[in-house]
Amino acid sequence: MNPKKLFLAFLAAFVFIFVFGFLWYGNLMHGIHNEVPALWRTEADFGSHFPWLILGHVVMAFFLTLLYARFVPGGGAGAGARLGIMVAFLYIGNNLVTFAVQPLTTKILGGWIVGNLLEFAIAGAIVGAIYKPSTTATV
Amino acid sequence: MKRFLFAFLAAFVFIFFWGWLYNGVLLKDIYAQTSSLWRPQSEMMSLFHWIILGQAILVFAFVMIYASGFAGGGVGAGIRLGIMLEILAIGARMMMYAVQPLPGKLVLYWSVGGLIEMIVTGAIVGAIYKPSANINA
Repeated sequence: MNPKKLFLAFLAAFVFIFVFGFLWYGNLMHGIHNEVPALWRTEADFGSHFPWLILGHVVMAFFLTLLYARFVPGGGAGAGARLGIMVAFLYIGNNLVTFAVQPLTTKILGGWIVGNLLEFAIAGAIVGAIYKPSTTATV
Repeated sequence: MKRFLFAFLAAFVFIFFWGWLYNGVLLKDIYAQTSSLWRPQSEMMSLFHWIILGQAILVFAFVMIYASGFAGGGVGAGIRLGIMLEILAIGARMMMYAVQPLPGKLVLYWSVGGLIEMIVTGAIVGAIYKPSANINA
């Protein structure tokens, strides 16, 4: 484990998924989400829960980086993207279950699936490009 | 390939029954308190195949990740992977909590249930799946 590179990779992944989330889910999908307003917090309520959004991004970015460091350290951007895509499929599976139990539209489901694939593939590639093991790979 | 399939099937059966027991029976009352967030029972049943497909994709991705980077580590490696993946999911749940009017206790119960689910899934996959030739994890 290389703590300095791990921290840098985590930081870059966090910034990316935060910006991506804001653009994709918060802006591009804003109108689509508003087709089912009962499912979302009001602006004021969302504002008071904003720290949870930040913390969620931190946890996600950190554990994606940690998973990469344990999984394919030194594999590079390609290996990181492959890991990211596999992780995205965990979320996609969960999205399908959520679609069955919550009154989401198919447009929301589609947007979440594409968003997850892009978000994790790119975040994984970023982590893979930055993280390098300090000496030899020890998985 | 045969081990992969067995691991997938065993983990899928576990996740299906755990999901039914935990969400369908144990958390039933909490869901009833937040009924505006959920589809009516009849509508849910008509979309049940999405639950099956979603769980199958989730389990497939889990076994793929295990087989690609953790294989050969046995039950311990499977449990460690399960814990890491569940903490990733807890991150996503925190974001969900920030945007949806979910009760905090439901998010907490989901996380506790998810942790149990992923630990057991990891143990099952780790116990069954073995790489075919060399261990190159």
